[in-house]
Amino acid sequence: MRYRLGCVGLLIAVVALTGCVRQDTRLLQHAEAFESLAATTKVIVEAWLSGNLSGTFTRTALEQTHALIERERTALAGSPRQLIDSRGARLSREAEALSRVTAALIADVREADAGSSRQHLSALPMQPSSSP
Amino acid sequence: MSAIFDLVLGIITSIGGFVEVGSISTAAQAGSEFGFQLLWAIALAAVILALLVEMSGRLAVLSRRSLAAAIRERFGIHFQVIPLLAELAIDVLLLAAEIGGAAIAVKLLTGIGYQWWVLPIAIAIWLALWHCSFAIIEDGIGLLGLVTLCFVVSAWRLAPDVGDLAASLIPTAPDHHRTRYAFLAVSIVGATVSPYLLNFYSSGVIEEKLTAGKLWVNTTTAYAGTWFGSLVSMGVLITSAMVLEPRHIRVESYEQASLMLVPAFGRWATSLFAVALGIGCFGAAVEIALNAGYVFAQVLGAPWGANKPRGDAPRFARAFTLVLVGAVAIVVAGFDPLRLTMISVALTVMVMPVIVLPFLVLMNDPKYVKDHTSGAIGNGCLAALTILAALLALVVVPLEILGG
Repeated sequence: MRYRLGCVGLLIAVVALTGCVRQDTRLLQHAEAFESLAATTKVIVEAWLSGNLSGTFTRTALEQTHALIERERTALAGSPRQLIDSRGARLSREAEALSRVTAALIADVREADAGSSRQHLSALPMQPSSSP
Repeated sequence: MSAIFDLVLGIITSIGGFVEVGSISTAAQAGSEFGFQLLWAIALAAVILALLVEMSGRLAVLSRRSLAAAIRERFGIHFQVIPLLAELAIDVLLLAAEIGGAAIAVKLLTGIGYQWWVLPIAIAIWLALWHCSFAIIEDGIGLLGLVTLCFVVSAWRLAPDVGDLAASLIPTAPDHHRTRYAFLAVSIVGATVSPYLLNFYSSGVIEEKLTAGKLWVNTTTAYAGTWFGSLVSMGVLITSAMVLEPRHIRVESYEQASLMLVPAFGRWATSLFAVALGIGCFGAAVEIALNAGYVFAQVLGAPWGANKPRGDAPRFARAFTLVLVGAVAIVVAGFDPLRLTMISVALTVMVMPVIVLPFLVLMNDPKYVKDHTSGAIGNGCLAALTILAALLALVVVPLEILGG
């Protein structure tokens, strides 16, 4: 009896640990995806400001990036367990900010407002720390 | 002199159809996520493709039968049904991905949503299939495809460390995301060794009436042409590794991928990327649809050929038209072209054993290849390739789920 209880306990511990590891991995994957999209937004806008990208392409690329941010946010919000987790909740808040800043940048590019876009770019969250 | 001209043209035009949505997207993703580390996968895929292309060409030159027709004759229709259906399904998916890729290229240039360009591009493909001879399709697309050399120029201008590149030709385990790494390695092989390329090449050999006396032209074109094409894939991977990876940009869209050319070409970068992607995808789409027509007509024993008036080969014309319609329906339904590409690449890997296995028999049958049967090295390579293909087919679905 004690042996069986021990086995069940071990099984529960393994399942819980696997769940935690999977949750960690998923949150890490979401964080990496958001960082990549933030870096993309930064590179696109900087290239536009330096005259390397046309307004049409910049707008199209930013709209696509915004769509990908929204897709990632939906995936993150799709799992309530991830949102309950404090790291998931913080990620969700930062992702919302990223979405808003990207939307503002799309408007800046549409109006060809370089000054405003510089301002918004400085407020862009989730940028990878070691990007050049 | 004419043979040398044909040879040079054949090698240069190999780039058309080789560099397309699958090779560009897998190489761009691999470079942005793992730096140079997956360069070996492109080299390995090029070796496999060169071997198979050379064999399918040799088979066609000596037996005057395309690969599909020879398999049909040697193994019977019952063996042929599964590979035929698999190849047609992959052709439709790949064609959808190529049309989507070409439409996205026009979107990058114009800013107008890609869905609006799907139908005009499909009509342009159909017109090319209906009106153009094989030489125009093959050489025209190939010569236009030279624009994809911009990736090689970009890699050259970025001056990568030659020692690092050489070291990347030996497989090494990554220190992160191992499943993803394995998935991308398998995807690169799947994107490069497309089944359509083999039958298209063997059918082309017959269309161009290459004779046994010019077998060396086939061998040289197969090896040199494949390496020339894979050079572009390597250029994409190197550029992506040097531009996108340090900035932590993982390629999830063609808009992101296009940024890789900015350091080398400045304000021309995105237009150049769009033109290269558009021409690559358009060329591959024409060749895939044409191959679907070839396969269908050859298996049924019906007349075929891009040099024949289409009215004289009605089943051939009907087949490429139907495949084109099916592909358009998939893109119009709203499937993401990049995801379609990755799915079709995984499917290609799944059916690879069925594609490779017949070579073992056909290339040892004097009825088909006369006294040019495969030697010990050729058979050893084919046996190793069959085992590798079987292993890849087993792991591709789990890898797609876990790392795709």
